[in-house]
This record gives sequence, C-alpha cells and structure tokens, in this order.
Amino acid sequence: MAADIELRTTFFITAVAVAAKLSLVLKEAKNISLEAMNAKALVARAGENVRTFKPITDYMVELANDTIHLVEDINREALMISRSSLTALRGKDAVYHFNRAKEKSKDALYRESYEEAAKLAERDLREFQEKLHKNTQRLHTLLEEIETRMLAANVVTSTSRLEAATVSTIYRANFEAIVAKFEHAAKNIRTIVKDCRKVLNKR
Amino acid sequence: MQTVKLFEGHSHEWIAFARDPEKPEKIIDTNQYMIKSEREAILLDPGGIELFASMLASVVHYLPVEQITHLFASHQDPDIISSLGLWDKTLPNATLHAPWLWEGFLRHYGCDHIIYDAIPDEGSTLKFDNVEIQFIPAHYMHASGNFSVYDPVAKILFSGDVGAGLNAPDDPMFVEDFNAHIPKIKKFHQRWMPSERAKEMWIKRVRRLDVEMLCPQHGSIYRGDDVGRFLDWLESIEVGSGLRL
Repeated sequence: MAADIELRTTFFITAVAVAAKLSLVLKEAKNISLEAMNAKALVARAGENVRTFKPITDYMVELANDTIHLVEDINREALMISRSSLTALRGKDAVYHFNRAKEKSKDALYRESYEEAAKLAERDLREFQEKLHKNTQRLHTLLEEIETRMLAANVVTSTSRLEAATVSTIYRANFEAIVAKFEHAAKNIRTIVKDCRKVLNKR
Repeated sequence: MQTVKLFEGHSHEWIAFARDPEKPEKIIDTNQYMIKSEREAILLDPGGIELFASMLASVVHYLPVEQITHLFASHQDPDIISSLGLWDKTLPNATLHAPWLWEGFLRHYGCDHIIYDAIPDEGSTLKFDNVEIQFIPAHYMHASGNFSVYDPVAKILFSGDVGAGLNAPDDPMFVEDFNAHIPKIKKFHQRWMPSERAKEMWIKRVRRLDVEMLCPQHGSIYRGDDVGRFLDWLESIEVGSGLRL
C-alpha cells in the first residue's frame, strides 16, 4: 500500500513529462495537416486524373485534426493529473504527520481528541488517490485513441501508395513524396505515444 | 519536546514548547507558546510543518484539540506557521490572527477552513474566555508586517524574533547569564533586524509595558531584570548589518 501511494503521488512529474513529449506529437500532427493540404492542392491541380486521391486527403486532414484535438485533451488531462497528484501528495503528507503525532502522544491525556481529524485526512487521501486513478485511466484511454488512429494511418499510407502508382507520371513523384512524409509523421507519432505509455506504465 | 509552564493565574496559563529532540538537524530550533484558559486556548507561532507532529502530541497533554480556538502568527516565515495547512485540518473552527499584510502569502500554506483575522497595522486586542491579550506592532522587527503579543495579567511579552538567538539544542530555556548570552543573539539582531527606526519604536512601545518575561520564538526566555538588560542592549547595537557589506 505504501509503495502504491508513493507511485501515485509522485505522478505529477510523470504527467508533466508526458505532456512535454506530446508537444512533439502536436508538431507531427501539424505536419500531417500540412501534407494533407499540399495533397489537396495537388488533387485540385491534377483534376480528374487523381480524383481517387481526394477521399484520402480528406481523411488525412481528419486524422490530423483528430490527433491535434486528442493531444489538447491529453494536455488538459495531464494538467489535471499533475494537480490531483500534488493534492494526493499533500494528503499523504498530512496522514504521515498525524501518524507521527499518534506515536508521540501515546500517553497523552487528550490524544483521542484529534482522532477525527486524522481519520478525515486518511479519507481525503483515499479520495485524492481515487481521483488520480480515474485521471490516469483517462490519460491511458486518450493515448490508446491516438495509437488506434495511427494504425488507421498505416492503412491510409498503403492505399495512398497504390493510388499514387496509378496517377499520371507528372504528379506521381509529388504524391509519393506526400505519402512518404505522411508515413514518416505517423510513425513518429506512434513512437512518441509508445514512449509515453511506457513512462506511464513504469509509474 | 520540552514543555515549561511560564505562568499560572486564575484565568489562564502560559506554556512554552521548545527544544524538540527529534527536530531535523538543519532546521532552526523554535519556541512555541500556548495561552490556555479554562475552555479555550491560543497557539502563538505554532511552528513549521516539520514540528507539527511534536506540537500536536505535546498540546494534547494539556487539552483536547477542539479547545484551541485561536492561532497567532507574528509574521509569515515558514518556521512560524508553515504548519498552517495541517492545523487547518486539525482545527477547522479556529481563527488565525496574523498581520493583514501577509494574508495572501500565508494562505499558500493551506487555509481552507480556519478563519483569517487580519490584524491591522496599529494592532488590536483579542478576548477569549476571561483572557485579554494585545497584539503590539513590531513592524520591520524583522518582517515588514509583524506583531508581538502582550498579556498584561501574566506580564509576559511574546516578542517573536526579537530577543531570539541562534542557540544550541541543549541550551537552557531561560537566560541564566545575560552577558554570556549576548554572543548567541548579537548576529541574529544585527543581521535579521533591518531598521534602526523600527527598533527604536519597538523598544519605546515595550518600555511602556510592564514586562516580567520576554519570550522570543528562538533561543532562551528573558526573566526579571534580564528583560531590561536586553532592551538596553538592543538599544545599544546597530542593526541592518547586511546593508554595510
């Protein structure tokens, strides 16, 4: 139990570290968005010749926007975790001090008089820890959602490659470059999110 | 933690708590005081967070905690009142009397339940049960918002950091030889007290009071003639030494 409390209450550092790592995801998501815009412009220029690329570029934009929103949600959640873990840390500190007082006042006439305050501190600590647990679960869920979207990005990359192979040679190189950048950004996001989950799981 | 009863009268008593043997080594030793009447009590400068357990364990030898209805903080320093957040959990119905200047600062320690009674610059009086104590201005001695506490019945002045010394943990609770005590208080006053004018004003105020015991927040307590000796000595030294570097 003590170790469990320790793990949860030092979480404010982990949460901030995760938020910092995710700023890189935001950068990559913005890259995807930019590539999607480039693809859209290219589709408009190439006309009928590449119309099959249009739904792919739409999906790229959607994926980028979803990822950006998810990162924003995660940042909010990380801030909440940071706050709730600090509250839990304070709660843990209070319980520690009350327990020390109990040890020191074994023979004191009125030692029972602060029992209620000590119990309330313990109850508060349990509540803080439950809240922290819920926040952490939510953070895991949000990270999972990004991972799921990046798996979808894999499928989009494969489809895009196939489509790029069928377009006119004038545009093919451009499309292939866009797909490569998209793939690179999605891969980076997957790596970062995996790192974040590793950090969270270590706690 | 050592406890010493300083005064016992019809309506109330003064108890000093000091020299906590379990205090972490690098933390400055502090004296805490409690004025206890039949039904209520006030803790004067209840101490830092590291001292909370010892203080709580000590006070429950004298009264049930719900009888502590008031707290007093002479100023905002952590050794004075960083335990506030824990007292806030222990005494949710108490009132903290502290300089108005520090309210926004002291609340950083945690003050969700305790009522903050902001003492105005000119000082004020607090009555509880049949006890009446005075909050005497001690601004810039050393903090810019600072009060001493005077009890005209017990003739005790709680002087906060004035009279304080950097004493060894096993030093006596009372000054036994004033001249031998000077090296322990000299640097403290010259460096911590910033203003000659503030010093003179405080001495002038205190000289008007009938003080039999001067109780600082660190070091040894002055009794009888040593109170006058201390005031004379303080008058004679130059404070604000940090400005002369």
